Amino acid sequence: MAKTLLIHLRSGSMMNMDSNVTVKLARAALSKGYNVRIFGYGEGITVIKAGQEPKRFPNVGKELEELVQKGLVVVVCETCCAARGIHRGEEVNGTKIGSLTNHLSQFVAESDKMVTLAR
Amino acid sequence: MAESILFIMTKAPYGAEDFFAGARASLAMLASGLVGRSTLLLVGDGTLNAVAAQDPLTIGMPSNVEAINDLADFEGEVYAVEADLKARLGEVKVLEGVKLIPWEKARELIWEHQLVTTF
Repeated sequence: MAKTLLIHLRSGSMMNMDSNVTVKLARAALSKGYNVRIFGYGEGITVIKAGQEPKRFPNVGKELEELVQKGLVVVVCETCCAARGIHRGEEVNGTKIGSLTNHLSQFVAESDKMVTLAR
Repeated sequence: MAESILFIMTKAPYGAEDFFAGARASLAMLASGLVGRSTLLLVGDGTLNAVAAQDPLTIGMPSNVEAINDLADFEGEVYAVEADLKARLGEVKVLEGVKLIPWEKARELIWEHQLVTTF
């Protein structure tokens, strides 16, 4: 049975390299057959906002959309989204706005390893 | 599959949302019923969150006191490294429900939990 990696991201999509490291780590783990979950919390919720157009940096939103097609699961905190004015329907295809109680707790319960990326 | 998670709290109260966010995430683990043990460990500046005399209403911020009390309602454990708190404030009264411990016990807590994250 494949092992499951949980990446807990709390840095914003353009705040630093954490979101890029998250994508690279997720891609590497998926390629090795791991189940991979990302939970965005605090500023980390910004990675699922559709329409990101960074001019000179990697497009984290597009990369996540691609990895979701390969089995990556991405959920972010609903309360954090509401606080920042991001609403359902504005997320990158395949990603989801969820909750601590319903999703993060499930991810924790299902995970073998957890990595936290935060500034 | 994880049945326990330790939240290591390293940030002082109210200057950042970290403690409140971490305490709420820990509470969600217990409230979900999916994670049997979810524990807070306050270290370094994070121990300042345990001070009984804090009065967040005066600055209009979410109450860390309430967050710790809510954890107690779900039998969540909250520990603070006594030496770190003393180094910052000397002898001070801590919130009900917070257990002061030596670093040796803190290391044991890290070993006892299957997953560890930091706030």
